Amino acid sequence: MKKALITGASRGLGRALADGLAAAGYALVIDARDAGALAATASAIRAAEPGADVTAVPGDVTDPAHRSALHQAAGRLDLLVNNASTLGAAPLPALADYPLGELRAAFEVNVLAPVALVQLFLPALRERGGAVLNITSDAAAEPYSGWGGYGAVKAALEQASNVLAAEEPAIRVWWVDPGDLRTDMHQAAFPGEDISDRPLPSSVVPALVRLVEERLPSGRYLAADLVPA
Amino acid sequence: MTATVDFALPAELEAPGPPESRGLPRDGVRMLVSRAATGTVAHHRFTDLPGLLLPGDLLVVNTSRTLPAAVPAGPGLVVHFGTALPDGTWLVEPRIPAGQSSIPNGPVPPPRTIPLPGGVELALTGRATARLWHARLSVAVLPYLLRYGEPIRYSYAARSWPLEAYQTVFGRHQGSAEMPSAARPFSTSVVTELATRGVTIVPVRLHCGVSSLEADEDPYPEQYDVPPATARLVDLTRRSGGRVIAVGTTVVRALETAARARQAGWTSLVVTEDTGLLAVDALLTGLHEPRSSHLRLLAAFHEPGLLAACYEAAVSRGYLWHEFGDVHLMLP
Repeated sequence: MKKALITGASRGLGRALADGLAAAGYALVIDARDAGALAATASAIRAAEPGADVTAVPGDVTDPAHRSALHQAAGRLDLLVNNASTLGAAPLPALADYPLGELRAAFEVNVLAPVALVQLFLPALRERGGAVLNITSDAAAEPYSGWGGYGAVKAALEQASNVLAAEEPAIRVWWVDPGDLRTDMHQAAFPGEDISDRPLPSSVVPALVRLVEERLPSGRYLAADLVPA
Repeated sequence: MTATVDFALPAELEAPGPPESRGLPRDGVRMLVSRAATGTVAHHRFTDLPGLLLPGDLLVVNTSRTLPAAVPAGPGLVVHFGTALPDGTWLVEPRIPAGQSSIPNGPVPPPRTIPLPGGVELALTGRATARLWHARLSVAVLPYLLRYGEPIRYSYAARSWPLEAYQTVFGRHQGSAEMPSAARPFSTSVVTELATRGVTIVPVRLHCGVSSLEADEDPYPEQYDVPPATARLVDLTRRSGGRVIAVGTTVVRALETAARARQAGWTSLVVTEDTGLLAVDALLTGLHEPRSSHLRLLAAFHEPGLLAACYEAAVSRGYLWHEFGDVHLMLP
């Protein structure tokens, strides 16, 4: 049975992807800071997929001890999904006023933690011909006002992915823009706005599962490209 | 020489006529889909192609049209015109008519001048291979064939299908002795779906000679042309993470030649596992004969175990072979 680690799996896209990979037959190790929400996610997956192998390891991906716990829990791994992410300062400030502490914290969560997890799991991934899936955003490339912090950290994650793909030909490295989704994070970026027109996170899961199951070449993908409308 | 896949091809898997004669639309044939990355084989209809590809992928098609390249030369002889050579002569194959088709090694009477319909003479100027001769026709070949020739057909053809049955939607340039058949399932609606999906289609031209159907021979030199715009898009696609998908082994030959030498001319390149691939990532092709040189080309795309699994699946699931049959999409 193949095994996947999904960070930030208690809510939003991470939660939906956990459902999708469990349905595709993956054993899961899932992570989130909120232990209660994570346990509820694990229970819901087991209820939906009887016999599903789900291990919940609550904690913060920026904590080296928690990352070690994830490594211990997962052992051999076929797929590392770096989904856990922070928007940074919210509501979104202009760079002129961006609190540097929050920017530094955003780099910790969105860049350093994924790279640290890659470092921990690379030997196992190389051995099994595994894959790394990093969740990114169009904010990494587009000059959206207010998105300078989040955009900068996602741009850094994208280039780390790009170089990792070149350095590690034995594995697949994908970085995927899922598009705007109806998630708590998206709501935090648009406080008070109605975001009910955005698609649910579950809508992009078939795209991500396709990437994994077809083992497409390393590279940047748009979820919308992977599953035709 | 690299190992090739060997298997028995049951006669009932030889498509005797176009899919339209089986009640299917042009794009209604089956498509076996194999993936080198996962070692898996899946089964689709050809109309699934747009969804199986990704925006930014590049399909390269052959725009050569099929000639009526078989000329009846009397009760005991038919001549297949194979390939135009740079000096204006042609490679031809004299064959013995047999029912609706013919068999190799037709009689070549001394003084090696064959009278053809319309008061025309074909002078054989020397042997090229055991089956093929160099020859010079007393008039221009293309107009002559278009007036007097018929499509080449082999023993599995149920009857003589019209020339239009042997054309693809991309056929624009007269010159192939046999249909570049991998593109035959493309319909205008599939092309529209591909365009709206963001998959680009670009042309090359390679006139197909007579196939090495009845012998384990390498393909003969063939005339090809890779337009500069196509070469640029192939390069751009590979650099930007898309996949270059050759539609037919002829396109592999043209693109791999252009990647190694000039962009137009005559090519003798035989692509195999040993030559590797410099320009092409994936291949849409028909199903090929046991032990044929085409199978050696396929070994450049898939390792032997996966290729064998593809052909086992194709035989056991009753896929159809030859120019009117089903197709095989070989993905990286």
